[in-house]
Amino acid sequence: MEGVKILIVDDDTDITDSPKAILEDQQFSVVTASDRVEGMEKFKAESPDLVILDVMMDTWQDGFEMAREIKGEPEFKDIPILMLTGVQDKSGIDFKSTAGDPTWLPVDGFLDKPVDAEVLIAEVEKLLAKA
Amino acid sequence: MEPIPRNARLVRRAYWLIRIRWIAIIGVILATFVAGRVLVLQVSVNQIALYCVAAVLTVYNSVFLILLNRAVKPNGERVFSAVHRIVSVQISLDLILLTVLLHFSGGVENPFMIYFVFHMVIASILLPAWESYLQAALAVCLVVLLVLLEHQGIIHHYCLKGLLPDCIMGDRRLIVVMVTVFTTTLFMIIYMTSSISTQLRDQEEAYWQANIQLKEKDKVKDEYVSRVTHDIKGHLAAIQSCLEVVVNRTLGPLNERQSDFVGRAQKRTATLANFVRTLLRLTQMRLSDKLEVHEFSLTETIADAVSSVESRAQNKSIVLTTAVGPSVDKIVGNKFSIEEVIVNVLLNAIKYTPEKGAVEISAVDKGDCVQIEVKDTGIGIPADEIPRVFDEFFRGAKAKKTERDGTGLGLSIAKQIVERHNGSIWVESTQGEGSIFKLTLPITGRHC
Repeated sequence: MEGVKILIVDDDTDITDSPKAILEDQQFSVVTASDRVEGMEKFKAESPDLVILDVMMDTWQDGFEMAREIKGEPEFKDIPILMLTGVQDKSGIDFKSTAGDPTWLPVDGFLDKPVDAEVLIAEVEKLLAKA
Repeated sequence: MEPIPRNARLVRRAYWLIRIRWIAIIGVILATFVAGRVLVLQVSVNQIALYCVAAVLTVYNSVFLILLNRAVKPNGERVFSAVHRIVSVQISLDLILLTVLLHFSGGVENPFMIYFVFHMVIASILLPAWESYLQAALAVCLVVLLVLLEHQGIIHHYCLKGLLPDCIMGDRRLIVVMVTVFTTTLFMIIYMTSSISTQLRDQEEAYWQANIQLKEKDKVKDEYVSRVTHDIKGHLAAIQSCLEVVVNRTLGPLNERQSDFVGRAQKRTATLANFVRTLLRLTQMRLSDKLEVHEFSLTETIADAVSSVESRAQNKSIVLTTAVGPSVDKIVGNKFSIEEVIVNVLLNAIKYTPEKGAVEISAVDKGDCVQIEVKDTGIGIPADEIPRVFDEFFRGAKAKKTERDGTGLGLSIAKQIVERHNGSIWVESTQGEGSIFKLTLPITGRHC
């Protein structure tokens, strides 16, 4: 998977660095950002092929907002977004059933934290293949 | 408003009735005096008899006060029935005494006859509806008996000459109308006030019961949290032990990246273990009703607390100073808990004070209590967050940004401990300038 760039955005560096290590091991090129602003900057500068977002960043909807911002641009709408979530139990919202909803939650897939290496690789490859 | 149990409510109202009667006694004496001397009405009332009635009232009010004091000592249902009996007898006696009072001051001609209404209201508040109706029936019987005896000339009738144009005792029709109006008024009053007071009593009871249920449920929740956290703590300890072996390279060398990731895991596990430990401490404290107290030196405890946090202050080049007043010495309480409070407040101050800042702990003797203050030059607390600072799991928005790790439990534990010692804790703060956490602790362990 050389040449494929992935952007991971999460405010917890311990969370971003684990998938980073897993994906780098698979020869992906990985860029990380710790908040929405830095995430959007890197998104525009690095033109990633896939974005991995955390639901909860500074405010609990930062991840949603960033996904909407990306998918709102016609030129970026085909870039797959994978959302990492650890909030399902807390909010009671079944995010997975809402994946793909263009207005509510325009993301292409969900993964629960902590990230399982095999599941992460499979999901990333699946989304890249679709794109 | 804290709900009060049924027993305590009745006892409180029984004392209220006795207080009202003292006022009534003063009223009777004053009214008798005014009627006879000041107004110089040609009222043919029997003043000596009226003063005697006031004396009787004084005697039985004192007796009931003693009986009530004795009745409230034991606990349980017996208190309720005993106090209830005392109240019931008091109201009946009041009705008899009021009738006697009326007899010596004009009988049904006396406008004070309206005072029967007060007794009906009091009966409705304190007694069940059926007993209130019985009290109303007693009042009517007493008045009818008084009228009959006075009308038949069996007992003397004191005419209110000077106040009324003529003695109405001779006018049978007027008396019948007055007694009828009197009777219906009393029963209507009982009906109306009983309906309202029964409703209020039921609401109060429901409120009280709901409060008991909430406390029970809270206890069940605490027990559940305590069990769960205890289990988590066990697993965490196992994880920490395993990580320790890897981090210490007991099983062989690690490369830099492996070491980095295992090190992070160890740090996060330690944070979680600390959180779980704190949560367990808080829950167990909430579940335990006991607090072992003894006399100990507060000065030494403050010194111990300061020395245990000194290294943390040094790591941030924070100047940590202590100023304990010369008269501050021994207090009664749980030394370890108080030390925990001081440590928690000091750690909190150090955590949110930038490098090269200052934290000062002081203690002053305030007579019955000691006031401890922890002042810092930290980030301060926004005004809207101050009321929630001691809430469980609360962490301020800026506090979270300044210091990621934090349980939001340290200050709640401190508050629980201080309140268990009958003290109080609060904070004064200006955003950007710093905070002062103040706590008072009674010297004897009782409220100060």
